[in-house]
Amino acid sequence: MEKIIIPKPKNDSLVAQLESLYKTFKNIQPRENLNFDLSLLNWVCPLLILPVSAYINNTRSSCETGRSSIKSYLEKIGFPEGVDSISLFQQRVQRHKSFIPISILKKEAGASRERLEALFSEKIYEILGSVSGAQNAVCYPIAELVTNIFEHSKKDVGFIFGQFYPTKNYLDICIIDCGRGFAAAYKEEKGLKLSDVDAISEVMRGNSVKPERERGYGIWTSKRIISDVLKGGGFVLISGSAGLIARNKKERLVSFPKFYWQGVIIAYRIPKPSGPLDISQFLE
Amino acid sequence: MANIKKTHKNLMISDLLASIISSRDIIDILEKAIKKIDNKSVDLDFSNVKFVSRSAAHALLLMKERLQTRKDIYFINSNKDVANMLRVVAANRIVSQKKKPDFNPEKIDINSLFKEALA
Repeated sequence: MEKIIIPKPKNDSLVAQLESLYKTFKNIQPRENLNFDLSLLNWVCPLLILPVSAYINNTRSSCETGRSSIKSYLEKIGFPEGVDSISLFQQRVQRHKSFIPISILKKEAGASRERLEALFSEKIYEILGSVSGAQNAVCYPIAELVTNIFEHSKKDVGFIFGQFYPTKNYLDICIIDCGRGFAAAYKEEKGLKLSDVDAISEVMRGNSVKPERERGYGIWTSKRIISDVLKGGGFVLISGSAGLIARNKKERLVSFPKFYWQGVIIAYRIPKPSGPLDISQFLE
Repeated sequence: MANIKKTHKNLMISDLLASIISSRDIIDILEKAIKKIDNKSVDLDFSNVKFVSRSAAHALLLMKERLQTRKDIYFINSNKDVANMLRVVAANRIVSQKKKPDFNPEKIDINSLFKEALA
């Protein structure tokens, strides 16, 4: 089993976390059994730690934390195994009040899965405070991005994790699947042969793989709500060997050489809201 | 009095599904529950439902259309935000106001991107 030492991010920005993520999974063969070494890490955010958790759960890989200073944090968030039931989620939240556990959403669990996701969303907007409109603004992207997993990924499992940083006053959320990814979805559903970069562009232009014309806006609208309503500090979307990085009204597409994420990773950062939020203009 | 049959059946969405309705596929559970009910008229009670996603609202409306020849389905006790979501999605099914979004990203190489992390 190959040992992968996860490099320490250069700083706490989303792009720095993305760089560590890229270096962690660069040159990895699909579904390769790995042993992740986290001993260099002294701070992680969901964009780095959730993909590792999802990969471990999906491939029965393993990890070691050594003397890492984040060892107790990783235990609090349930890394790497996560929780897949309401009772386990509640137990962990009761024990470690300000930490939300890595949550595993299983399609087959039906209404129980929906309730687990609801608990996750409620915990997130509870942390953000009782700002008018925060519930809608927080729930919309989580709901649309998670439903995308079960509709398009052809995988019955999704991973979701969030962490609020009180001293930095922002919240990071990451949502992942290990499914077929955007390019395969367009190929299999619409017969379109697209690169990973072009498939991300199709998604962001609202071109659904489904035939109904009123569909296909979930990811695009979610990104707008994160950027424009929640004044997001960054949005990262990865599928296959490509990614979209959006920040400060700039949208950049990038190819990741010798890297392939089987499925989709979406991560975003939002500051704690200071005033009322209104998503109604994005619903029309 | 004993022979009077209740004509309405009330289904509490928060009990059957969740307080936040996110996923399109979860509406299948609701549809199955409705099909098992003998009553012609079914009230879907949204008391305690805090949020319905756009996708779930769309799936709810499609389900209502599918069942309309067999059942009279009413959405009741929804809060302002849930009612608004259902109205907007219903209106968009009839007359779509949404324009396809513009998406003109810059293409950037990975080294330039990661250099920014240090800036």
